Amino acid sequence: MSISTAGVVARPETVATSRAPAEKQSGKQRRNRSGRPRGRPDVARWLSPVGLVLLWQAASSAGVLPPDKLASPLTVFVSGYELVLDGSLVDAFLVSSSRVAVGFVLGTLVGGALGLASGLSRWGERLLDPPVQMLRTLPHLGLIPLFILWFGIGEEPKLALVAAGVAFPLYLNLHAGIRQADPALLEAARVLGFSRFERIAHVVLPSAVPQTLVGLRIALGTAWLSLIVGEQINADAGIGFLINNAREFLRTDVVVVGLAVYALLGLTTDALVRGLERRVLRWRAR
Amino acid sequence: MAGAVSIRGLAKEFGTRRVLDGLDLEIAPGEFVALLGRSGCGKSTLLRILAGLDAEVEGAFSVPDKVSMAFQQPRLLPWRRVWRNISLGLHGVDGRAVAEKALAEVRLESHADAWPLTLSGGEAQRVSLARALVREPELLLLDEPFGALDALTRSAMHRLVEQLWREHRPSVLFVTHDVDEALLLADRVVVLEAGRIVAEHRVDLPRPRRRASFVDLRVEVLADLGVDDVEAA
Ligand SMILES: Nc1ncnc2c1ncn2[C@@H]1O[C@H](COP(=O)(O)OP(=O)(O)O)[C@@H](O)[C@H]1O
Ligand SMILES: [Mg+2]
Repeated sequence: MSISTAGVVARPETVATSRAPAEKQSGKQRRNRSGRPRGRPDVARWLSPVGLVLLWQAASSAGVLPPDKLASPLTVFVSGYELVLDGSLVDAFLVSSSRVAVGFVLGTLVGGALGLASGLSRWGERLLDPPVQMLRTLPHLGLIPLFILWFGIGEEPKLALVAAGVAFPLYLNLHAGIRQADPALLEAARVLGFSRFERIAHVVLPSAVPQTLVGLRIALGTAWLSLIVGEQINADAGIGFLINNAREFLRTDVVVVGLAVYALLGLTTDALVRGLERRVLRWRAR
Repeated sequence: MAGAVSIRGLAKEFGTRRVLDGLDLEIAPGEFVALLGRSGCGKSTLLRILAGLDAEVEGAFSVPDKVSMAFQQPRLLPWRRVWRNISLGLHGVDGRAVAEKALAEVRLESHADAWPLTLSGGEAQRVSLARALVREPELLLLDEPFGALDALTRSAMHRLVEQLWREHRPSVLFVTHDVDEALLLADRVVVLEAGRIVAEHRVDLPRPRRRASFVDLRVEVLADLGVDDVEAA
């Protein structure tokens, strides 16, 4: 595993701070690249994924793909169904989800507090930003050996890993978002007699929201990634445990079921953030 | 006196560049003064100083306690509804009621709950104007507030500003580079050049004014701005 997304600060779509030409945008946004009205699914896009699954099934049935390397889609589906019925998938799901949830909350608290402190105060930035910027160049998954030494091999290193994966992208994007506040709006706020608190509450923080939501999405992606890696450490429950256990018995069907659950969980949390985004950013021109 | 502005020997440097250089200007309470000048001559700099946004200056000036300003761009907070944009920063009043009254004055009462990004340019600028007026300023600073508007919206805005000025009677310092606009609205037109006021004209014409009534004055002001009337016409 050499993937680290902890250092990513992505750019949110351009935020219009004064008046954006709403009329010009709306016409463009309603259609996507293939010229279909938004919201209607493009059946053509499902051709190749479905084709690949069929090919996979054909290869398994023909014996080209031995089940100890990769189980057939049908076997995976049936195994998944059985694992749901006997409750083991649900248990694993709950354990893994709660690991992510706890780690995410911890990481959000730390990353959020540090981001606010260094975004809103000059001294906060001087003191906090340099060490965080240095640490973020370190892929946080590389911390596993230290975490094991510090926290042992129980739940703590897994939670710490998720928390670290969440805290960095959140800090970086929140900090960048706060720093991006439009000086023209801040100036207007001064002329209009805003107090310092009002400037922060109505100008600085709202303008940091789009970037912070970007950070949140990256953080959630990293949280799942951290969980998957963390669950390789001596897990005795959770989806990682399910997968590792299955590996020992060459049950590639169960391994694939576990991977599919990871993917579904990732998609679900991403959809949640998108929903939050739509709600929080509803002031953007329609 | 409430509303009076007095500027003596005001100077402002950016690096080595002296943008304002010994500027003198008096504005009487309730007087509407238009400030003309070429782009980059320091008009916005002067307004920012008077609004308290730039304190590093030489010379002396006094402005009333209540100063308010409308910028060339409306500078509304896109994430706050229109009425909140107007009432934020006001303390100890019923914000909603005050905002609704101000919106009615700029004929936007139906837009109180709209998001700023859904407004047209003219509407956003009217909200910005309402936001400045709701603070009941004794001095209203307007920095080319209509520069980005089309001709029709502009003339509607001229009438609106004149009407609001008559009702509330703040002193007004109105920056524009449009001579007609200045002559339509102002009691007095002053020209800024090389860091100081180099010319001034009193506009003693009845209101509402028509362009035909200041043809000669227009030529004089244009000459002060160094523009040959033939090319300006
Ligand atoms: N913050 C600043 N730093 C450096 N130069 C500035 C700054 N603000 C304005 N200037 C310069 O001062 C001059 C006057 O600017 P300004 O007052 O905006 O002119 P205008 O009359 O067009 O409003 C310009 O040459 C501008 O480049
Ligand atoms: Mg200017």
